[in-house]
Amino acid sequence: MGSTQHYVIIGNGVAGNEAAFHLRQRDPESRITIITAGRLLFYSRYELPRLFHENCDWRDFLVHPVEYYVDNRINVRRNSFVTHVDADRKKLMLAHKEEIHYSQLLVASGGASYLPAELDEFAPLLNGFNLYSSACKVRDILPQKGKVVMLGGDVLGLDLARNLVSDGYQVVLVTTEQTFWPHRVESDERALFIGALRDMGVEVIEGVKIERIEQGAPGMSARHIQFDNGREIFADVVMPFLGLLPAADFMMGSGVDFERGLLVSTNLRTTDQNIWAAGDVCQIWSPEENQYRFYYGWKNVKKMGEIAAKNMTGEDIHWETATDQKLFIDKNRQLISPYWEHD
Amino acid sequence: MKETDIQLMFCGSAGDGTIAVGDIFKRAMAKAGYKVIAFDIYPPEIRGFGKCISRVRVTSRQAYSLKQESDLLVSLNDSYAIPHVPEVRDFGSVIYDNAPITSMAEGEHISGHLLPGQLPYGLRIREISDQTTGGSKSKNIVALGYLAGLLGIKQEPFHQIIGDKFRHKGSAISESNLLAFDTAYAEGASTFRLDFIELGAPERQEIGSKVQMMTGNAAVVRGCLDAGLDCFFGYPITPATSIMERLATELPRRGGRLLQTEDEISAIAATIGAGYAGVRAATATSGPGLALMVEMLGLGVIGEVPAVIFCSQRGGPSTGMPTKTEQSDLHLAVYGGAGDAQRIVLAPTNVEGAYRCAGKAFEMAEKYQTPVIVLLDLYLSNRYETVLLPRQNPFEADSVKHRSNVERGVPYKRFAFTDDSVSPRTIPGEEGGIHVITGLEHNELGRPNDQSDMHTRMSEKRHKKLLAALDHPGITIHKRFGDQGRVDVGILGWGSTVGEILEAMLMAQAEGISCSVMKVVMLSPLPNEPIRSFFDDCAEVLIPELNYEGQFANLVASAVSKPFTRLNRVPGVPMQVADILEQIRRLAGRAKSSNAA
Amino acid sequence: MGNLRQPVYLEEKLKQVRESGRLDIRSKALPTWCPGCGYFSIVDGVAMAINKLQISQKDVTIVSGIGCASRFPFFLDTYGFHTLHGRTLPVATGIKVANDRLTVLAVGGDGDAFAIGGAHIPHAARRNVDITYLVFDNGIYGLTKGQTSPTSVLGFTTSTSPYKNQDQPLNPLLMMLSYGTSWVGQSYAGDPRHLSEMITQAMAHRGFSYLHILSPCVTFDKTSRTYINLKAQVRWLPDDHDSSDKMAAMKYAMDTDNPPIGLFYKESRPTLADNLDLVIESARGRGARATV
Ligand SMILES: Cc1cc2nc3c(=O)[nH]c(=O)nc-3n(C[C@@H](O)[C@H](O)[C@H](O)COP(=O)(O)OP(=O)(O)OC[C@H]3O[C@@H](n4cnc5c(N)ncnc54)[C@H](O)[C@@H]3O)c2cc1C
Ligand SMILES: Cc1ncc(C[n+]2csc(CCOP(=O)(O)OP(=O)(O)O)c2C)c(N)n1
Ligand code: SF4
Ligand SMILES: [Mg+2]
Repeated sequence: MGSTQHYVIIGNGVAGNEAAFHLRQRDPESRITIITAGRLLFYSRYELPRLFHENCDWRDFLVHPVEYYVDNRINVRRNSFVTHVDADRKKLMLAHKEEIHYSQLLVASGGASYLPAELDEFAPLLNGFNLYSSACKVRDILPQKGKVVMLGGDVLGLDLARNLVSDGYQVVLVTTEQTFWPHRVESDERALFIGALRDMGVEVIEGVKIERIEQGAPGMSARHIQFDNGREIFADVVMPFLGLLPAADFMMGSGVDFERGLLVSTNLRTTDQNIWAAGDVCQIWSPEENQYRFYYGWKNVKKMGEIAAKNMTGEDIHWETATDQKLFIDKNRQLISPYWEHD
Repeated sequence: MKETDIQLMFCGSAGDGTIAVGDIFKRAMAKAGYKVIAFDIYPPEIRGFGKCISRVRVTSRQAYSLKQESDLLVSLNDSYAIPHVPEVRDFGSVIYDNAPITSMAEGEHISGHLLPGQLPYGLRIREISDQTTGGSKSKNIVALGYLAGLLGIKQEPFHQIIGDKFRHKGSAISESNLLAFDTAYAEGASTFRLDFIELGAPERQEIGSKVQMMTGNAAVVRGCLDAGLDCFFGYPITPATSIMERLATELPRRGGRLLQTEDEISAIAATIGAGYAGVRAATATSGPGLALMVEMLGLGVIGEVPAVIFCSQRGGPSTGMPTKTEQSDLHLAVYGGAGDAQRIVLAPTNVEGAYRCAGKAFEMAEKYQTPVIVLLDLYLSNRYETVLLPRQNPFEADSVKHRSNVERGVPYKRFAFTDDSVSPRTIPGEEGGIHVITGLEHNELGRPNDQSDMHTRMSEKRHKKLLAALDHPGITIHKRFGDQGRVDVGILGWGSTVGEILEAMLMAQAEGISCSVMKVVMLSPLPNEPIRSFFDDCAEVLIPELNYEGQFANLVASAVSKPFTRLNRVPGVPMQVADILEQIRRLAGRAKSSNAA
Repeated sequence: MGNLRQPVYLEEKLKQVRESGRLDIRSKALPTWCPGCGYFSIVDGVAMAINKLQISQKDVTIVSGIGCASRFPFFLDTYGFHTLHGRTLPVATGIKVANDRLTVLAVGGDGDAFAIGGAHIPHAARRNVDITYLVFDNGIYGLTKGQTSPTSVLGFTTSTSPYKNQDQPLNPLLMMLSYGTSWVGQSYAGDPRHLSEMITQAMAHRGFSYLHILSPCVTFDKTSRTYINLKAQVRWLPDDHDSSDKMAAMKYAMDTDNPPIGLFYKESRPTLADNLDLVIESARGRGARATV
């Protein structure tokens, strides 16, 4: 591999950064560019709940110090949104009309939180938690002992829920089929897990659908929720936690095969010679299950980043289908998701 | 109360309104009650769209100099701004247009050049300008609105300044620009802040004085006008031209007269002529012009004619670097010309000082009957500072204009020997005081006389009378800052570099180094005694200045016998604070080890 | 010619002058001119003009440069400023800008005016500074003891042009006319009455008046501009010369073989002081409007 290589990575998450690290190890002379829509360097989103009980800012969440990028000559192009990829010419276009040429492209653009169409109209009244800025917003508007209503409750939400409860806030969980996502919960386990949530201090509302979400009257709680069964509740913040959708719109028209995510074989190469994918954005072929499927969680995506980087630099290693990580209740009767641990 | 100390940098081309937006920003901040120091850099070429940079430091208490690093960079032209990205500190931010009109190759957009610790703030700058004003001319106002919203600065002062700025262009333009500002302001205010650029509340204003923001040259003009300047003669030369330009507007309003002469020789000649005729007269120039003036300066010295010469230094020798700053005309100002021709030379160190020195120069010129040179430099001439101007005019008017002493029937002794070596003086038109001034050595009557003892006595008279200027009231001749008493490191400075020196001193003190600064404003006659006692107090002395030869150091060397360290730089830009600090550290180390020995 | 090769010291001449006691009447100051120098008549001419115009001595300032001619101010009892070589006009301009009520005369030699001071003349002329400029043209550098000047004739031999002057002399009158001088005249030291009359007229003129005075340097020029030669050469301007006709004036000015004496040209237009007053007026007008 020569110094003329320009590795471009779309995505500044675990997968992209792990890949960048390995690319630099294996091809010291090359150019490495990470492109991200966000404005920050790679930070640990998993630790965002710390914002509720610590005086900290984004610098405390940085995975690598600033010098790491200088020392390793990794150019992180922040605030740059990829609009499309031209696989034939090996270039991609940024929203600000700059063209970037790559020798090899790794798509690690992750997923965006999922919001079903029927909730779309209430989007301005909902608060996300997938970014540092959205987390700060929640922290800033949530009064002491304030009330958070969570819609759905994927593992990310449940992680936040247990943190909020232990910090003295009230959490109300409105269940949907995405509750516990991406864990596959058997019907017989479900009641058990719901019970564990209630034990944790979370108020759980089951079997209802959202009818309306409104801005609360002045002087009252900020949000007013009406259910289809006529019940109404008030909250300071309403947050959807309904799982993730792969963020790869910009790959449309690139000629690369696409289902819900980018389709890759077990070496993480897409149907284009020079384009690879890793992380939440890709669906990997599983010979055992005879289908393309997603694997979430930092451990998985980190491994993907490593495999992609190594294969991009001449190795031939393969993703091995991992067994699903199960939600469980530990000996202290605590609900535990393996996703909640991270390094 | 939280202290404010932020520095912004606007970078773009001459056509982008870069300097204009920097100007609105600093005026608005000054209006809001902050202290400002700012310095613009223009392209050397007049035509075209060369690079412009406007740097503005906003503080709660007046800062001494600009900072090496800026907290925020606004790019109005990426190709110009990209080389300046490294000047933005870690966790500082860069504001730029992220919706340009044409596509570009990799590397042409500034977002690709940010260092890892810097924060990008992209905005549809051109689009917003188009939408609100129907053109892209107001990109600068959009960027300004965005940054004001982002930093959460009140809109009020901006509205006023923008309104003032565009008023003469008609209300439609003024309103569309306000709309551009407000639209971008809202964008900024709703943008999630990630930087750590914090603005505290401004300091209260002192009573009995009014805060204004102006450049060194504008301060010179104010000083001239407050001192009652009657006549001005000048020949355009960067960076002094703006003094004449401003006076061309202001002076006639007060009944004064200004003439653009055919060259600097004529300018100083007319100044001397007007001074001889009894009015307050001045000229302004830069090194090349001063070089032409020194012969006439000598005539002013021997003829004992009051005159004020402002000289704003630029890079030399010869035509040198006309748009770069330097302090290399000190020898010329102090020594230039034929013979023993001592004159008064004042070098203000900041904008407020420029005002005081300008006004006091007229008092001194009249009181001691001599030409007075006020030595500035491009950096001081062009930089903006908020200054506290006294509400009461601090300058003495006509009272010291002349001291006639006429006795009937006796030839008038224009150059009479007196106790203070200053002779009585009449001006043309005065009865009984007829005399002829000459550049020849002369006797008390002004008649040519080259006898050796006459020349000796007259030389002594001309030098002795100037010593009184060292105690002239109402002006700082020299001043000591920082640690008092014995210190490890003393820094002796003059002119605009004193700003950087003081910043370096504060940093060194914060590091625990015992150090002290002495600024010398009067370079001729030199306050020898205070300089000597400063040397006595300092284990090590450093003299930083923006010239290659160490011209001030040479002056000092003739006054003290102790060794000292020179720091000479000729980068064409202000001296780096870090450079001075490094020397202070080194000397502090040396002082420590010799203390221990 | 042999004379010229020998060094002649002004100091020696001065001694002779002092001993002769001939010049006591001129002023209380010791004159420094050589006996017979054409300049003496000019002192009288100015004194008579001041007298005639009834100007108080205290209100007169005589500004000069450097040269024998520029010693002039010392020999009259008025305010005076003996300045630098070539800088007569700008100093005089400064004085007039400062105080327009003063009567200001500028005097100097041909070198002072047209060599070192040449750059200042057009500007004083075009601005119409209200001063009277008397140039004593002896076609030589007198004070520095006999070097070639810008008005030295072709073929003139001096210590700096021992192989003869090859440089075309200037035509001061033509220059002054083209510069826009509002009063141009010529006289010569050999006719004191004409001289004093012309000086009086020049001083009476409001605006920049230029009087060219042909004058012999008896010490260093024994061949060219001598009394005898001058007397033979000069002509009176014809009586019918129209002094408002600049073309005619220029034509006469070009006659260097027989220099005409008299008033060449005269016009009336605002002076520098008038114009500066206008500036003040309009600035005040604008200033007043701006503050409304
Ligand atoms: C808030 C949150 C908390 C989580 N907590 C845990 C946890 O505790 N434990 C755990 O195991 N898993 C956790 N996960 C799940 C984690 O599963 C994901 O699997 C992992 O973060 C995915 O990493 P990734 O690198 O694929 O993508 P991401 O980390 O999602 O990164 C995607 C990147 O792509 C960029 N991008 C997307 N589109 C574009 C575009 N068009 N142009 C430019 N850039 C683009 C984004 O800016 C972003 O930088 C969490 C997920 C979230 C959202
Ligand atoms: C700057 C400068 N250069 C040179 C001289 C020497 N210098 C004195 S007078 C003179 C020439 C005088 O000639 P002119 O003006 O014709 O006067 P004149 O003596 O003939 O009357 C010269 C060259 C000087 N005094 N100053
Ligand atoms: S001009 Fe000639 S004659 Fe007259 S004083 Fe000078 S040297 Fe003597
Ligand atoms: Mg002569």
